[in-house]
Amino acid sequence: MNTLLKQSILALCGMLSLCAGALAADGQLKLPEFGGLSDKASEVVTITLDPALLGLAARFLDPAKPEDAAVREAIAGIKGIYVRKYVFDTDFVYPQADVESVRKQLSAPGWQRLVEVRSRKEQQKVDIYLLVEQERANGLAIIASQPREFTIVNIVGSIDMKKLHELEGQFGIPKLELEQKK
Amino acid sequence: MKASDTWSADELLTRARGGESSAFATLVRRYQRTVYSIALRMLSDRHRAEDLAQEVFLQLYRAIDSIDSETHLAFWLRKVAVNRAIDRMRQESRHDSEPLTDAVAVADESTEEDPLLHRRMAELVAQLPPAARAVVVLRYQEDLDPVDIASTLDMSINTVKSHLKRSLTLLRARVQGTTIVEDIR
Amino acid sequence: MSKDFEQQLREALRPVDPEEGFELRVMARIARERSRARTKVTRWVSVALAASVVFAAFLGAHQWQLRREQEGLEARKQLIEALRLTGEKLDIAYQAVNREAPEPADDGSGA
Repeated sequence: MNTLLKQSILALCGMLSLCAGALAADGQLKLPEFGGLSDKASEVVTITLDPALLGLAARFLDPAKPEDAAVREAIAGIKGIYVRKYVFDTDFVYPQADVESVRKQLSAPGWQRLVEVRSRKEQQKVDIYLLVEQERANGLAIIASQPREFTIVNIVGSIDMKKLHELEGQFGIPKLELEQKK
Repeated sequence: MKASDTWSADELLTRARGGESSAFATLVRRYQRTVYSIALRMLSDRHRAEDLAQEVFLQLYRAIDSIDSETHLAFWLRKVAVNRAIDRMRQESRHDSEPLTDAVAVADESTEEDPLLHRRMAELVAQLPPAARAVVVLRYQEDLDPVDIASTLDMSINTVKSHLKRSLTLLRARVQGTTIVEDIR
Repeated sequence: MSKDFEQQLREALRPVDPEEGFELRVMARIARERSRARTKVTRWVSVALAASVVFAAFLGAHQWQLRREQEGLEARKQLIEALRLTGEKLDIAYQAVNREAPEPADDGSGA
């Protein structure tokens, strides 16, 4: 049943990703400043790619290289990518209320939770949401938290999950397989 | 032994920049093992590895004026060798390895405890995709740390660590799987 | 495996020498290239002199271009990193879904 669920999720995302049309609402989340956390963190990743920077990045993707071409295709309908990742050396140094404040925004109309993962063993929570408006997907949000790290990814615009999945194996994007000898 | 063999790398660089062929030839002698080995582990073929290694030194000859120290030279050679190898692999779209007869020969010449295991490991590394293979070679052959690997391959450190973690997990699993099968035999 | 796995990997990947005479082959190739380059140099000297005047005028624009290129490459790097992190988290979700899925029945029921 869950295999069917996974296939349905992919099909839904593929279908919803087909066209970018007029935006009824912005899929961009308001991300906290996380002031003072950088000093406590052992690793910080802050990525803010607005439409201008995304356009600039896309110009430096080489269409002759297959992996660059795949990235170009994957980001074709995207208007912004925002990432915040903090890793710490001790448990629960970060204010969970800040992470929860982002989750709260995802209970607004239009946002639908696609997947919820709870791992008791690793105390890991992963939530994936899509913003669906008039049968169009206008945004993606991923919130992943563990005792010593949290990651928030917010993608604005039309994202093709199938194309994102196809990036596997390139640029360190997961799912590594040994290639078969011919 | 030639006189130039006793010169420091910085002295050789100065002389090579001044046009002394013997100095440049000595640099080739000193670094050929590094450059050739990177090419061999990436391309899995002695002939292609030698061809690539020659091209790297040819490129060094053209760019010698821009090399300002021994440290820079070592970094430059590794960077050019591995990135040229990756480009070549992608152009040829042949990520699978040819039969590693050369790698087998190398392993058999050694005095390691387990040449069969080492041969198997080398074969498995040769089957990794280009970027992951490059990270593993730079880490375990060249002994670079993730920061230097990131600079060499123009990747983020997180990407390097991701490649390392996943490649090791995969290699470990495959090696253990193979050992079990062979033990049963 | 009695030895540490990573140590075994280091031994498996230890550097090897190219075949004897590699240095001579490299120097021969360089000599051939120098011979080809000499005939080109004289032809291009006069062209280069004229070009240098024009180049000076465009130097400012070039520096702007270099800065833009650096920004673009940095943006590209950030884009790749963002997609990598996105894929990493999606992978956790996919793996979790796969772990929970029982093996499909072979009776073709599709359940």
